Amino acid sequence: MTATPEELASPQPRRARRWRVASWAPVMVLVLLCIIITFINPNFMTFGNLVRISQSAMIPLVLGIGATFIILMGSIDLSVEGVLTLGAVMLSMLVLNGANANDYGIVGVFIVLLTGAAVGFINGVIHVRLKVPSFMATLGTWFIGVGIANALLGGMATRINDPWIRGLAVQRFLGFPWGVWLALFCLAVALVIQNYTRLGRYIYALGGGEELAALSGISTARVRITTFTLAGIFYAVGGILAAAQLGLGNAQIGNGRLFTTITAVVVGGTSLSGGQGSVLQTLVGVLIVVVLSNGMVLMGVPPSVQIGVQGLMIIAAVALSMDRKLMRIVK
Amino acid sequence: MIKKIITRGLNRPIARRSFLRGAAAFGVAGAFPAIITRRAYAADAPTVVNSIRSLSNPYHATWNKGGAAFAKAVGAEYVTLVTEGNSEKGIADIKAILAKTGGNCVINVDPNDSPDARPIVEACKAAGAYVVTQWNKPNDLHPWDHDPNYVAHISFSGVPYGKAMAEALIKAMGGKGGIVALGGIESNVPAIERKAGLMQALKDNPGVELLDMQVANWSATEALEKTNAWLTQFGDKIGGIWAANDDMALAAVEALRADGRASKVPVTGIDGIQLAVEAVLKGEMAGTVAWDPFWQGGMGLAIGYNAKTGKFDPAKEPKEHREFYGTGVTITSENAQAFYDSNIKAEPTLDWNDIWGRASGQIQYS
Repeated sequence: MTATPEELASPQPRRARRWRVASWAPVMVLVLLCIIITFINPNFMTFGNLVRISQSAMIPLVLGIGATFIILMGSIDLSVEGVLTLGAVMLSMLVLNGANANDYGIVGVFIVLLTGAAVGFINGVIHVRLKVPSFMATLGTWFIGVGIANALLGGMATRINDPWIRGLAVQRFLGFPWGVWLALFCLAVALVIQNYTRLGRYIYALGGGEELAALSGISTARVRITTFTLAGIFYAVGGILAAAQLGLGNAQIGNGRLFTTITAVVVGGTSLSGGQGSVLQTLVGVLIVVVLSNGMVLMGVPPSVQIGVQGLMIIAAVALSMDRKLMRIVK
Repeated sequence: MIKKIITRGLNRPIARRSFLRGAAAFGVAGAFPAIITRRAYAADAPTVVNSIRSLSNPYHATWNKGGAAFAKAVGAEYVTLVTEGNSEKGIADIKAILAKTGGNCVINVDPNDSPDARPIVEACKAAGAYVVTQWNKPNDLHPWDHDPNYVAHISFSGVPYGKAMAEALIKAMGGKGGIVALGGIESNVPAIERKAGLMQALKDNPGVELLDMQVANWSATEALEKTNAWLTQFGDKIGGIWAANDDMALAAVEALRADGRASKVPVTGIDGIQLAVEAVLKGEMAGTVAWDPFWQGGMGLAIGYNAKTGKFDPAKEPKEHREFYGTGVTITSENAQAFYDSNIKAEPTLDWNDIWGRASGQIQYS
């Protein structure tokens, strides 16, 4: 895993080793899951199924990347579904579609990304300048986003006919749909931001101790607003992928995505209190969630039991990955 | 207090007399429209009100269009109330509109949950308004126990249509092979009924095997994931996909498309939304059922309106007009084009006087 500031800051090898074992727990859970599922249904480990898992993972991954940065700061972002829905609906109305004469193609995609950035920026400004807790600020923009999407479509669904957008889900490169490559590209960008930019380090610093970071001369307000804006762009990418995958935009396209996103981030081992975790861990968390839901169908787990198993999985994964010796208070 | 605020706002003191004069003028101006409105309501046609879950799904959006079309046809004021899935809000909004219109209104409601129907009906009866409920009500609440205000309850039986879709699917598959099924929320009555219809059709067709049935909670996203997993598990054994609604069916089509098998594996849905009818036209779906929410939104009001305006006396109507199953339209490749032209391309034209035309039997409780 990547080096966290804690690791860099603590020269004692003992402490570093303990942290590392805990952070590998999600990977072990993932491997164990794959082994169990393959044992029960060998079809799981076929190339075709890996492609399907990657298709299911691409959207939670880009959403999770955005949410990871926010959670690393110790904030929370509930606007995932709002931005995603708004992005998907706007995209469906801007590119070649079945409802109006627009055909903006790639320009439409950029407009959607800009909208995502704008909503994220608004989140950040409301949170920082009006001193509204991120929970409430982003809850508000969630509803506003879905509300605008509703108003744009009037409850209907718009089919997307743009071959490039549909190609993200249907056309393949090296056996994987282009959307999966786009999600991996987002992951690479996020890794660069996290590990090789000042913003990445500042995010960890804010999550580890905001007052200390502020006293060290970091403009915490600017870091927060930038990070929320960045997250908004990732959610918009998620919206584009969701619209591409279902071939349509409607106001319900985001339903249930927030829960999957936060679950994946936390199951991956990123701490909700901030400062610990990474986007690579989110990749592992997303894979755990997706492999589990794919595997339960393959193993023939009855539908009524599936959601319960998911709950158990969340508790188990988080319990395994926590470093209890460093914690005194659990809220 | 008010004087103080005005004084501060104008940044200069105002004389007590001119303040009082202003207040009096304000009060008269305020009372005037109130009187006008009261009189207008007494003389005017009753306000027609649709109370539905939300405007964010095609089903209820079309419902709303039907209501607006009826209101326009009779020249009544039209109001849409939206519960957003919140029972308390739904009931409170209805009570507010009853108070505002003084009971001179007709309410066509799709209650958010079955228990909500009782307080809604009782509030309407107390206010003298007329009410029609659809889909949800407790089994022991009957229109004839609340004459004449509770005019009718309309529902649709999922069993025959779930069965009709399964039969259309089996026909498209050539009468044999394996199918997988996507169900709605397990505890929902429509989900249970539609599934029962599927099971009946399977019993009649022993050549067809149900490989697996999963619950996708009416959601396209979940349906896409489940279908993806099935494509791994069963591969070419999947000869057809039955879905309990159109959103899930369309997602299954997309999963098949990503696998290069769209329009090779037949898929059926239920609800008759526009995209599903288009998919039937393209051959990607083998069928769907249209409940015609336009009819539900308009005719529900028409039934209540005719009772309210004295065209018929609800108390004298037979029980199969008070608590009845509406009629769905089965859409397959044979009639999809005709349905599309008359219901989607053009706004449907309904005869609002034919209020019992689609009543197909009294509701049975098992």
